[in-house]
Amino acid sequence: MVANIAIAVLLALCVLSTAICCLALILVKDVFNRMHYLAPVTSFSVLALLAAVALQNGWSQGTIKTILILLVLFLVNAVLTHATARAARVRQFGHWLPHPKEHILGAPHGPSSQL
Amino acid sequence: MNAWLMGADVLLFTLVPCGIAVFRGNAIERLVALEMAGIVQTILLVFLAEAFHRPSTYDLALAMALLTFGGGLVFARFLERWL
Repeated sequence: MVANIAIAVLLALCVLSTAICCLALILVKDVFNRMHYLAPVTSFSVLALLAAVALQNGWSQGTIKTILILLVLFLVNAVLTHATARAARVRQFGHWLPHPKEHILGAPHGPSSQL
Repeated sequence: MNAWLMGADVLLFTLVPCGIAVFRGNAIERLVALEMAGIVQTILLVFLAEAFHRPSTYDLALAMALLTFGGGLVFARFLERWL
């Protein structure tokens, strides 16, 4: 009985955090800020989902595959978000390296042709 | 009706804002929405695999996770260089 309640709570956490991040897609204006909302879904939501699957099945085929899914989503999303942000900068500024006027500490500056 | 099926039903509605965002804004904003939809569908497939007690269908969710990556990356590269 307690396990069922715990599973329901974990599933609610997963669905709620996913819903909040999806709503942010249409409420947040800037595209770079929107990309931040991909991260909680691939980490917190899937982690809550994994805990629920593990509670439901114990150490089984489903739990192992959900661990794999968590690892894939966690690693893949970081690479994908970086590639998307880079494409956004290239489309916006012509080059992805920082603009000299941006003064980003420690970052190499892009070609002077951007001025 | 179990908790997993109820969760899957609610998760379906979270695809609505993703759908709206896919049809609005510039190309990059649409791509971000497409990536979010891919992730939500992966989670949805895990919910359904558990709701119908079919461990073999977890592979669909794993394949969806990998294909979301491939598809998103191809779009990102095309949007960066050629489109």
